[in-house]
Amino acid sequence: MFDKSEMDQVLLATGGYDHTIKLWHTHSGICYRTMQHAESQVNALEITPDKQLIAAASYQHIYMYDLNSNNPNAIVNYDGTTKNVTDVGFQVDGKWMYSGGEDCRVRLWDLRSKGTQCPKIFEVLAPVTCVCLHPNQVELFVGDQSGIIHRWDLKTDHNEQLIPESDAMILDIAIDPLGTHMAAVNNKGRCYIWSLKSGKIDEPTKMNPKHKFEAHKRHALKCEFSPDSRYLVTTSADQTAKIWNTGDFSLRQELKVENQRWVWDAAFSSDSQYVFTASSDGCAKIWNIETGSMEKEYAGHQKAITALAFRDCAV
Amino acid sequence: MALYDNKYWLLSHIRNSFISTDDTGMCELIMAGEEGVRKHLKQSLDLYPDDEDSEDEDDLSHESYDLQLDTDFPIRYRSNTAARLEKLEQVRKKTSRMKHVKWETNNSELSQEQVDDLFVRKEPVVSEVKQSLFSKTFKQYRMMPSNPFIEFAKFDGSGQVNLQTKKYRIFLTMLPEHQRNYPMNICCIGSAKVSELIGLILLKCSTMYEDYHWKPVTTYGLYITEEDGEVDRDLPCLDARENISKFGFHCLGLVEHTDPTKYVSFDTSESVIIMRSPFNTSDKKSKDISKSDQEKQITTDLHLMDVHKRAMEAPLYKSYKVYMITKMRAKTEIHLGISGEKIEIDPVQKNSKFVLVKQKPINHDMDMIAWCETVDVKSNRTIFRIIYSQNFGSSSAPENVSTFSPTLQTSASFKSYDFEAEHETAEEIVYKISLILELRSSDTRKEYLAAQERRYYKKKALI
Repeated sequence: MFDKSEMDQVLLATGGYDHTIKLWHTHSGICYRTMQHAESQVNALEITPDKQLIAAASYQHIYMYDLNSNNPNAIVNYDGTTKNVTDVGFQVDGKWMYSGGEDCRVRLWDLRSKGTQCPKIFEVLAPVTCVCLHPNQVELFVGDQSGIIHRWDLKTDHNEQLIPESDAMILDIAIDPLGTHMAAVNNKGRCYIWSLKSGKIDEPTKMNPKHKFEAHKRHALKCEFSPDSRYLVTTSADQTAKIWNTGDFSLRQELKVENQRWVWDAAFSSDSQYVFTASSDGCAKIWNIETGSMEKEYAGHQKAITALAFRDCAV
Repeated sequence: MALYDNKYWLLSHIRNSFISTDDTGMCELIMAGEEGVRKHLKQSLDLYPDDEDSEDEDDLSHESYDLQLDTDFPIRYRSNTAARLEKLEQVRKKTSRMKHVKWETNNSELSQEQVDDLFVRKEPVVSEVKQSLFSKTFKQYRMMPSNPFIEFAKFDGSGQVNLQTKKYRIFLTMLPEHQRNYPMNICCIGSAKVSELIGLILLKCSTMYEDYHWKPVTTYGLYITEEDGEVDRDLPCLDARENISKFGFHCLGLVEHTDPTKYVSFDTSESVIIMRSPFNTSDKKSKDISKSDQEKQITTDLHLMDVHKRAMEAPLYKSYKVYMITKMRAKTEIHLGISGEKIEIDPVQKNSKFVLVKQKPINHDMDMIAWCETVDVKSNRTIFRIIYSQNFGSSSAPENVSTFSPTLQTSASFKSYDFEAEHETAEEIVYKISLILELRSSDTRKEYLAAQERRYYKKKALI
C-alpha cells in the first residue's frame, strides 16, 4: 500500500515523565520504537534537520539518540549545565545546536567537529524558559521567567529586551517561517504578537507590537506557527489547544477532548492540515484543523507526555 | 557409606570438617596452601576405578566434594555492596558507549572567520506547498479499521526503567513451520493480567505478521512451553484472569483454542454480545462497519448456534462402538452408552480364544463421573479417559444420596477407564460427557477439580 521505508521518513516522537521516548507510525498509531531516558523527565524534543538524531532536553543534560538504529540508549550526552534544560533547537544546516535552561544561560554547541570549544554563551538574569531561532539563522529570541524577551544577535552579540507584561513568565516564543510575525505566550494565558521587519544585512530585526489577546484561561504553555503561516496554535493548562487565524487572530478551532488535562506541546503537518498535540493524559493526538475533531490517539506512554517532535516528508 | 573406604574422600572430608568448624579460620589458612600435598597423596594412593575425578584435578580450588568454601561465605556478607557495584558497572558500560561532550566556555573570542562560518544569514524563502506524505498516508489509513489490539499498547514494558516488567519468549504455534520456531520477545509491565498479555502479544503479531488473520483475545491461551518451542499440553493454559506476576515461566506458547466454549465457559454468549456495541457508540473509530467485521459476526453467531444445539443434545442417550483398554493393555470392543443419567459399558460378544479377561458389563451413574478428557492423539486413533469415583457404588437410590453428609465424600478415590476410538468419535464422546458434567455439577466432579487445582498449584510452586 505504501513504501515502508518512505514512511520511516515521517517522524513522530513523544517523551514525558515515564522515562521513555517513543517513536510512532503515524498512520497506524503503533509505537515501533521505545528509547530509554532514565534519569529525568523530557522537557523538550527536537529532531535534527537531517533527521539522523533526536535531542532530548533533560535535567542537566541534553541527550542525543540515533534515529536510524534500534539503540534504546542515547549516543551523545551534552553535559555541563546545571538544573533543567528547558529548550533545544538546531541551526538549519546542522552546524550548531542551541539550548536554554534554568541556569539562566543560553548555550550554542558546535555539532560538526569533535571536542572544539563551544562557540557562544548568553547570560540573562532569570531562568530561561524558551529559545526561538529566527528563520534568518542569526538571531535568537530568548524568553525567561521574569517576563523579558531578549533578542540576541549571534554575529555581533548585540541584544535588546522587550517586556510585554510585567509579573508574568514568558513560556514560549514562536516565529513564523517567513519571519514576519513573532508570538509569545505567558503564564497568564495571554498571547502577544509583534510584526517583524528584517533589516538589511547586519541590521537587527525590528519588532513592532501588533496585537495582544487572551488566548487561554490558564497558563499558555506552547505556541507554534503553521508552515504556511496561516495559523497559530497555542496550548494550555486549561486542557485545550486553540487554532488562531494569523490574519486577524480570531479563533478558528478549539481542540478539546474530555480529560486530556494539560496540553504541553503541538506540531503541524507540513501541509498545515493537521496538528499533533501532547498532553498529560499520556496520549498524543492528531487533530483535523478543518473540522476541529480528533482523528487518532497515540497511546502507550505510562505517564504524562510533555514534549513532542514531528518531521514530515514531501511526496 | 560406600565412600568411607575411599581414601581421598575421607581425607577431603576430614580437611573440610576442620575448615568449616574452625571459627578462628586458622585451619583454612593453613590448609589452603596444601594443593601440592594433595596431589602427592593422590599419586601414592590407590585409585578407585570409578574415581577418576578429572574434574577434581582440573579444579584445584575445590578442596571438598561437597563444601565449597571461599566462594560462598564472604560474598554473603558483601552481597549488598556487590549488587551496588554491579549496577554501577552497568551504568558505566552504558555511558562508555555514549559520547560525552562537556561544555567548555570559550575564553577566546571567535575570529571573524569563525563567526562568518558559523552564523550565515539566510533569507526566509516562501516554500512551495508540497504535498505532505504524512497527510496522504494518514487519509488512506483512515478508511481502514484500526488495529483491534491497540488498547493493549499501554502494557508494553520495553524501555521502561522504573516499572517492574516481565520478559517472555513467546512461541506462536499457529504460524507456519518456518515462522513458528523463532520466539517473539515480549516485555510486559508487571501489573498486567494474562488476558492483557495475550492482547499485547496479538498487537505485536498483527503488526509483524499482517497477512495472518488474528482472532480476538479470548480465542487464545498461553501454555507453558519448553525452550525449544514444544508446548506442554499436560498442564492447563494460564488462567486469563490471573496476574502475570503470579507465574514464573518465561517461555510460553500462544495456542489457539480449538473449542472456545470449553475454556471460556458459559460467559461466551455475553462477551459476543458486548462486542456489538463498539461499532455503534464509538466516535473515534470509523463509522463504517467493514465487511470483514460483519462476516466475523456471522461466523460467531453460527458457532453459537452450533454450541447450543450440541448442549441440548448432550443428555440424550447415544451409544458408541469403541475399544476399551484393559489393565493388561488388551483392547476389548465394547458398546459405550452415554446418557444424561448414566454410562454403560457393554462388551461385544466375541468368540475368541485370545481373550485373557472377560469384560463384564458395567454401569455408572453420571454423578459418579468426575472427568473426561483426551489423553493421546495417535495417527489414526484417539485415546480418551473417563475418571470416576468409587465411593458409593453404582446403585444408589435417590433417597440414599441425600442422607450422606458432605464430609463423607472428602476421601473419594478416583479411578479411570481408558478407551480408544476414531478421532471424531472420541471427540464427540469427550465433548458430550463434558457438557453433561457441566450441566450436572455433581459433588464428585467438584472434588476432582479441586484436587486437580491443588496439584497444579503445587507443581507450579515447585518450579
